[in-house]
Amino acid sequence: MKIIACYSNKGGVGKTATSVNLAYAFAAAGKRILLCDLDPQGASSFYFRVKPSKKLTEASFFEDVEKFTKAIRGSDYDNLDVLPANMGFRDFDVFLSRMRDSRSRLKKALAAVKGDYDVILLDCPPNISALSENVFRAADAILVPVIPTTLSHRTFEQLVDFFKENDLPLKKLHGFYCMVQGVKSLHSETIDAMNHVYQKWFMTAQIPFASDIERMGLHRAPVMASAPNSLASKAYQALYQEVIKRVAGV
Amino acid sequence: MLTLTEGATQFTVLDYFDESLRRAGRLLLETGPILELLMADGHVLSQAAKRSGQFVADLQEGQVKHALADLSPLRSLLPIGSGNLRKGTLALLDDDQKTHCRANLYMLSDTGGAGVILITLHGLRGYDKSLAALRAQIRDCDGTALSSGGLYANLFPKHVAYNAKPKVIIESDATTYQAASDIISTYLSVARANEGGIRADCDSEFLHDYRIAMRKIRSVLSLFKGVYEQDQTIDLKARFVDLMAPTGRLRDLDVYLQEKQRFYDLLPQTLYSGLDTMFGMFSEERNREKTKLTDHLHSIKYADEISSLAKLFAKRKKLRSGPTAALKVDGYACNLIWKRYRKICKIGGAIAPEMPDVEVHALRIHCKKLRYLMEFFSPLFAKPEFKDLLRPLKHLQDNLGLFNDYSIQQISLQDFLRQANDWANDTKLHVAQSVGALTAVLHLRQIEERAKIVDSFALFNSLQTQSTFRELFHDGRPKS
Repeated sequence: MKIIACYSNKGGVGKTATSVNLAYAFAAAGKRILLCDLDPQGASSFYFRVKPSKKLTEASFFEDVEKFTKAIRGSDYDNLDVLPANMGFRDFDVFLSRMRDSRSRLKKALAAVKGDYDVILLDCPPNISALSENVFRAADAILVPVIPTTLSHRTFEQLVDFFKENDLPLKKLHGFYCMVQGVKSLHSETIDAMNHVYQKWFMTAQIPFASDIERMGLHRAPVMASAPNSLASKAYQALYQEVIKRVAGV
Repeated sequence: MLTLTEGATQFTVLDYFDESLRRAGRLLLETGPILELLMADGHVLSQAAKRSGQFVADLQEGQVKHALADLSPLRSLLPIGSGNLRKGTLALLDDDQKTHCRANLYMLSDTGGAGVILITLHGLRGYDKSLAALRAQIRDCDGTALSSGGLYANLFPKHVAYNAKPKVIIESDATTYQAASDIISTYLSVARANEGGIRADCDSEFLHDYRIAMRKIRSVLSLFKGVYEQDQTIDLKARFVDLMAPTGRLRDLDVYLQEKQRFYDLLPQTLYSGLDTMFGMFSEERNREKTKLTDHLHSIKYADEISSLAKLFAKRKKLRSGPTAALKVDGYACNLIWKRYRKICKIGGAIAPEMPDVEVHALRIHCKKLRYLMEFFSPLFAKPEFKDLLRPLKHLQDNLGLFNDYSIQQISLQDFLRQANDWANDTKLHVAQSVGALTAVLHLRQIEERAKIVDSFALFNSLQTQSTFRELFHDGRPKS
């Protein structure tokens, strides 16, 4: 089982759209996946039409395995379950370490339905500063969507610095450009500039700025399901292919 | 939300004669080139329907064949009935259009019976309440589980369910005459249910079941002493012996051919050519015996005889009572079981690895009779204790049965060699070598089996078993 976090220290960069579509791509490829919606707004749950669980607002719910597993909902797609967490983060690190420990009740309870999940995908909220270090340590890979603008350049820089300061393995970082608009010269210039410095941490797949992705809120389904032949879908599929290549054992 | 497929396809339900699949809650459908197996848990497996015969072993490799591996390899898949199939899916959605559970629908119709909708439910994690609600709603609409047997009965009203061991209801105040006649009448029906399958040579189990039913009838005639008038009893015994006579050789050959591989496994490869010749002859002889038996079952003489016997035991006007006919069956049953048990204990008391064959055979026959008695009268007794007694008895019988098989096979192999005069010289030599080696191996097996009998008898004769037998049967009244 691999833990993949989708994280950005900046909001509105297409993080949830990425989590939702990647989860869909994993499931469609036959991998059992649990998408943990850790964002207080519950956006990925919304896309899968899963209602947020009222019971899980207690920050210490991770101590109650039964409550936790009962909150998991099957999505409309095979192999894809959603945990509509909607919660505080006091025990987030406990949650992650238990998920790894094969002897823990949490791990066993998770496996109860169809056997182990192959992938746990965390849709993280922005600015989880107090706990970000724990997420970074627990996850096998951290996917970082970046809009190619000056500001995003700076936030990615901050993230790299954070990793260095805290002695975290930088190889876990997998950036990718998101909401890319080919006609904007600023976008291509920023990509060129960032590639110059960070190329080894960036994937080649890019997610375009597309109305299909914006319409996900309307369809309440991954764009890969509602418009499988769209450019956006193809971009997410390419991203998925690159992720499984880069994250060993997925 | 309901989604239906366009148009209907033709389907045929396949199952064993004893409905092994239906009883296990499974359904096997052949729809054109596809075989679909609906599992008890709602899973559906499929594979190509193309096959070289009607046995599971004849199917192509695939999910369905794999899932059917638990069935007896001796039975063949038979068409239970056909009709039209239309498929659909039902999804239960909430106000956000989120699916809570799904159901796959198989609409089966045009079968001469009522149309049936077969539903397999598929819950989604975390929506157990919705799944339970849908299940309850299906129950409210008189939905039943596949294993309850309603499907075949509703779809194919002319289909008759077969049970090799039907329960014969015996009331405790019934007389021995009533009980014996009910048992015989029931097993006559069992025997007759197998006639079609024997004639069509679908699989060897039809003849096997036919013979067991007949043997049970014969054992009622001999074990229920005095229940019918003496002359009539003698006459009836002879009539049933005559009915069974043409089936014996075919059954022996069926057993040889089923165990063919086991015989090859017993000998080195250098002796295979003799076995090839022998099994070739068995196969040819089986064909001849099969034709003879089919002709016999088709004959007017047979039809007259079997229906006259069925009528005799059903109407009972001409079935004359003997001296014990009016006895209450419960006390009578206790007596019979107790006496038979005591006989077994008597032989068993002297049991030792070196006991003569005749003694072992006597023990086997007594055990068989005890088993029949206990099975006939099981409705009269409390279940748990009864089962506790049957388990070690069955185990002992298994040993005794194997011992007997090894002994009979040695004799019949010797008989087989006596036909050797008509064979070519090199055939004679090959076959004699193989049969000689086989006889030696079988003899060794027989000795090994005899040693096991001592242990299984000790298990059967435990203090616990002794006291249960005494408690249940000694004072002549069943405690249920």
